[in-house]
Amino acid sequence: MSITNLLNNWSFYRQKRPFRGQYDLNKQYSEYKWAMALDLDICTGCNACTTACYAENNLPVVGKERYQHGYAMHWIRIERYWDENMGEFPESGTSFLPMMCQQCEEAPCETVCPVGATNHTNDGLNSQNYHRCIGSRYCSVNCPYKVRYFNFWNYPSTAWPSPLQDQLNPDLTVRTKGVMEKCTFCVQRLNEAKSRARTEYRLVKDGEVVPACVQACPTNAITFGNIVDPKSKVAKMWKNQQVDLYKDEQEKDSSMRGYRILEDLRPFPSVMYMERVRDMEA
Amino acid sequence: MSESGINRRDFLKVLGLGGSSLALTGCGNTDIRSGDEVIMPNVQPEDFVVPGLSVYYASTCRQCGSACGVMGRVREGRVLKMEGNPASRISGGKICGLGQAAVQVQYNPDRLTQPMMKVGSSLQPISWDKAMALLDEKTGPKSGIKGEEFGFLTGAMSGHLNVLTQNYMESLDSRNHYVYEALSPAISLAANRRVYGVDQPRLHFDKAKLIVSFGADFLGTGASPVHFAAEYAKFRKAPRGTLVQIEPKMTMTGGNADRWIAIIPGTEGVFALGIANQLLKHSEFTGTVPADIVDLVSKYDADTVSRITGVRSELVGHVASLLWEKTPSLVISGASVEGHAHGVQNAVAVQLLNQILGNVGKTIDGQAQSPFPQLSPAAGSFSALKAMNEKMGADEFKAVFIHGANPVFTAPSFMGFRDNLRKVPFKVAFVNALDETAEECDLVLPIFTAVEEFGSNVAWYQPEGVEITIQQPLMNQLYPDTRSMGDIMLNLVKARKADEYKAWPDFFSYLKTAIINIKPVVKYTDTDEHFWYDTLSNGVIHVDGAPQQVSAKFAATDLRLPASANAQDPVYPFYLVPSERHYFRDGRHANCGWLQESPDPMTTIVWDSWAEIHPKTAASMGIKEGDWLEIASQNGMLKVKAYVFPGIHPDAISIPLGQGHESLGRYAKGVGVNPFRILNPVFEKDTGELALYGTRVSVRKTGNSEIVVKDEGPVNTQMGRKLVVTLPADVAQLSKEI
Repeated sequence: MSITNLLNNWSFYRQKRPFRGQYDLNKQYSEYKWAMALDLDICTGCNACTTACYAENNLPVVGKERYQHGYAMHWIRIERYWDENMGEFPESGTSFLPMMCQQCEEAPCETVCPVGATNHTNDGLNSQNYHRCIGSRYCSVNCPYKVRYFNFWNYPSTAWPSPLQDQLNPDLTVRTKGVMEKCTFCVQRLNEAKSRARTEYRLVKDGEVVPACVQACPTNAITFGNIVDPKSKVAKMWKNQQVDLYKDEQEKDSSMRGYRILEDLRPFPSVMYMERVRDMEA
Repeated sequence: MSESGINRRDFLKVLGLGGSSLALTGCGNTDIRSGDEVIMPNVQPEDFVVPGLSVYYASTCRQCGSACGVMGRVREGRVLKMEGNPASRISGGKICGLGQAAVQVQYNPDRLTQPMMKVGSSLQPISWDKAMALLDEKTGPKSGIKGEEFGFLTGAMSGHLNVLTQNYMESLDSRNHYVYEALSPAISLAANRRVYGVDQPRLHFDKAKLIVSFGADFLGTGASPVHFAAEYAKFRKAPRGTLVQIEPKMTMTGGNADRWIAIIPGTEGVFALGIANQLLKHSEFTGTVPADIVDLVSKYDADTVSRITGVRSELVGHVASLLWEKTPSLVISGASVEGHAHGVQNAVAVQLLNQILGNVGKTIDGQAQSPFPQLSPAAGSFSALKAMNEKMGADEFKAVFIHGANPVFTAPSFMGFRDNLRKVPFKVAFVNALDETAEECDLVLPIFTAVEEFGSNVAWYQPEGVEITIQQPLMNQLYPDTRSMGDIMLNLVKARKADEYKAWPDFFSYLKTAIINIKPVVKYTDTDEHFWYDTLSNGVIHVDGAPQQVSAKFAATDLRLPASANAQDPVYPFYLVPSERHYFRDGRHANCGWLQESPDPMTTIVWDSWAEIHPKTAASMGIKEGDWLEIASQNGMLKVKAYVFPGIHPDAISIPLGQGHESLGRYAKGVGVNPFRILNPVFEKDTGELALYGTRVSVRKTGNSEIVVKDEGPVNTQMGRKLVVTLPADVAQLSKEI
């Protein structure tokens, strides 16, 4: 950020975030704020999203031993929980939770980076600058969702034995040893769509671009879009579920299913989950 | 553009070197460091290649038998990613992880890149010319091989490659085409034929208010998981349907159930008849089934059912009352119901509920009849392998071909398949990588992967009409010494029926002619060429067919379930549940890093095999997670780590299939164990299929233990945190949602 930019937009940058109106088409701060809605009732836990993420984002396969030590690089993972009051059997099934970077508005990871390698983009993403990252891993420590993944090893030299490297997506890098990486909402796709829209003097249309996980999901459990646009499906869903991006405690009808995970820590996540439903009479 | 007006690309085309000719060198571009000549594709791009831009081509996923329409993202001539094709009614634009991994099959570092011939006890590389000469010498017209001396083992196949294969067998006058799938739907199809008169009725998940699934893992495995997942999503939207799953080991579908019920393997039919008994007490269901069935069913009171199935007696009435309340419903059965000696009876007993509840015609009806029965899939079966194995054992074959199956890996050890295969003088495998079967063969021919090959496919579960999914290459062949299976088959047929096939120089032209001939059926009015290119770019042809008429009929003899299904066995007290992992299936794709590192949904374990054991059983035997166990049947023993898992019946032990390869490549070899090996010779008595769930095992602690590598943390509940919140269905107002 240049000092001129900082001085010219002093009032914008001085505000505590997120502030109401930060993402508003009328106020022209940003035309885009990417957000998700994830329906846990129709997520089946099938891992199509996680594999799609490996394919799209050049994630290395780390192998059994490194997986054991917690070095897995899955930007999105499916957590599985059993009910606490389970009897002899899990009679109401299990709970699957797809967990990826929540692209927090007041991201705990951003403030602790000693070199500013992780910061907030104008379209509301929590970005990671691999060139600037020095590998302090403070961000990962501070992340309440544990969705930041560190390259402890030089994966480019081992993870893609020839000719597997031919599969790599040329739209983004292969990260080397010593840097932190994380879910980007497939920023390479977003940038391409934004740039295409810009050349046509328009905004990105709803549904024009989705991350790889959303595209793969066989049940359409994930909805993605620009929440600045009130006509986008994701904005309608957030509104319908009475989840407010700018609040850390939602006031909603108990029948509505929207919530954000660990909201009380005040990271203001950009991913709204929708509660799992169970027929208790069954 | 040169002064003469001819650019380089045209020049190459004149020479007949267009297309993949970018590999031509000698144009003066040399690498500064090495002096090697390099290619500059960005300067002179190929047709349809825009450097830096991705192009999407429609094709068909061949990773399982569902035949989902897919799109391949192609950039600079390389396929990078698989996506669903929205034009496909099967995939609906979606794709599973197994389908994504098609690119890892393509770029697999362990792919076979040249033909191999057995010299002594090892495979040595040879040229294609020599390989084909050898093939001709042993099986060609001059070899004098008779039809009965030749066998062809394939996996399930459909479309024009299947047609060619059939024609080839005909030209040889051989009836020995064995279609084998280790995890075949044969028992399910037999039960369907008996009840509905068709192989596979169409299931309307979205119309059902209640689905009672007896061991059908329709979200993970089975006929068409991507399609059924989309149907399931509709089923869960307002008014939200309820899912009840009854099975010995919790599958991924079971994990999504509103009510999951653990049952002793093989007693599902008894539970179904118990429910039927309760239902038939309601006056509204009288007359739905014949009197002798009512009489037979009346023996199954709740206490008897509970004693046999190990399910609490009140749950029989509970499921019955759910079925009575929520109509229309849908009752389905899956692999764990069918994989027993009485598998067909078990499945028929489950289907009886649909008849009583009047679901036939509402949530179950007929699939469309295909106007092209020749293209329809040949479903695989175990009995095919058994028949072939017997003939091999009796030294009846001079030559066998194997394509699309890995029987040395998937055949249980009691069959002695490997030894019998070795008796055949000339064995040929058509493969992408050296698997256990190819290692045993005399000639191994490397073929194109699914993303390099032309083809057509028809799935055996069709959601609507008949969808012919077209397979087109998403890139040029990666290795010059691999060949198209279609071309090989066409040449084999040509060697015997030259006149009939002389019009087609290759499989591509054969397929193109065949597809264009479909044009009148779909009422396409433009030119043949347009039809061909439209078809390629759509990736699918939809043909409307009259739906098959489906009505159910039941005979009491089909419902006589053995009383001894849960008999105690003092030596082998546990039921073995060899579970099908949704991304591994029969293990043919185990050599993909993505799939090995994709956690099993229920256990979150990666890169391994494990034995699921109920906490109660584990406690009584002093077993903890990671303890090495010896799981032994009458036919073998496996050493595998324990995983304490609540979603399994205490009398059952579950080991996933697909791992335990001795070959196939670096990501699969030596990982985990292969439960196929220890299966007992228990056969479904009506179909002769292997009863996959019919094996009893003993469990012994070895005293050693090792960490289980998994994604799950040390705590497997939410510890009171609001991570996954559950809302009761009667509170949720899904109809108000967007």
